[in-house]
Amino acid sequence: MKTAVNQKLIETGERERLRELLRTRLIECGWKDQMKAYCKDIVKEKGVENVTVDDLVAEITPKGRALVPDAVKRELLQRIRTFLAQQTKI
Amino acid sequence: MQQIPLTDEEALVLLQSISSDELESFSQDIYDEVANEVSLGLCFEVHRAVKLGFLFLDESKEDEKKFEIVDEIGRDVFGQVPMKKQFECICPNCQRNLAASRFAPHLEKCMGMGRNSSRLASKRIANTGKVDSDIDDLDDGDWNYGNDKKSSKKKRDKNCPRKIKPKARNEERKALLLQCCGVISEHTKKMCTRSRRCPQHTDEQRQIVRLSLLGQQITLPETTDDIQVDIDTYDEGQTQLLQEAMYRSWDTGSSTNASPADSGSAPGGSISSKRKEKRASSNSGRSGGSKKSKSRLPPGGSSINMGNHGALVSQPHLPSDI
Repeated sequence: MKTAVNQKLIETGERERLRELLRTRLIECGWKDQMKAYCKDIVKEKGVENVTVDDLVAEITPKGRALVPDAVKRELLQRIRTFLAQQTKI
Repeated sequence: MQQIPLTDEEALVLLQSISSDELESFSQDIYDEVANEVSLGLCFEVHRAVKLGFLFLDESKEDEKKFEIVDEIGRDVFGQVPMKKQFECICPNCQRNLAASRFAPHLEKCMGMGRNSSRLASKRIANTGKVDSDIDDLDDGDWNYGNDKKSSKKKRDKNCPRKIKPKARNEERKALLLQCCGVISEHTKKMCTRSRRCPQHTDEQRQIVRLSLLGQQITLPETTDDIQVDIDTYDEGQTQLLQEAMYRSWDTGSSTNASPADSGSAPGGSISSKRKEKRASSNSGRSGGSKKSKSRLPPGGSSINMGNHGALVSQPHLPSDI
């Protein structure tokens, strides 16, 4: 069922809209700058030449998820629920 | 979950039967996926920046702080006090330290080439042997500050009047004094450049000038008796003789200058006899020349009117204006 719903999300383009909304909100709240500074620290630590994507991903993902403000999160969830609700009503 | 994709209707039916908790976790999962994508995007962006080298561009370094804009009272944006720096330079001519703003006028005076720079520089140049009269002819790209031996030698011979040999100088002076009055004015110390008949000066004055300038060797060609001055036939030897005789006679006699503006004033009567002698001798010894008319002896034997006046005077007669 989940795949069906996901599929619906993609088909309607809602997934992209959700993604862009999240990005916008995170930039507005300063999350992106914060994460970027953190990344610079990691790069300085690991060395400019030696840093890989995997390193960054492994470091950023947990930290990033933790740093997302609650308001943004709630907004997103609300959106999703609304979408799902809409789906059931159709 | 089912592997066969559900139709929309089937999915809807399922959704409606899900409890709210499950719905909530379902939403959460969807959110997590979206958040993950965003994080990943950020990672790629940063990694690209690192590899391309512009990640740390906006960070200021220590040595750049000196280029920051200065915002103090009394200083400009560079932090400097707004006073014009005085640039000093050394004059190539006189080796003096000069302010840059005064350099150009100084050089004018120093080298004697500006409009108002004649006196001192010209003197100095003359003393060092350079000729300043031809400086304009020098090649502009060819500044010779030291003595340019070639050019200065050449120019000495041709143009500089001070370096002319004595003979040449005298020749020039003779020529000059033949044509001009030449009497040196007391207050300006300059020679009168008017014609030899100018009313301001007497023949005696002219004679004095010529004596002092040329010495007794030279005299004006019109010293011959009775005969109009004809320069072409001027005989120096004759004149010298005449001159000496004249002076002797003057010393003895009491000749006074008669009318200067007239046809050549004649000396006093006491000399008349000697004149006759002279005339005779001079006439006989004359090397041939045109006798235009008889002229009277000038007082000093020097200045004689070029034009012949009036009546011919016969030989034995002396001029009557004694």
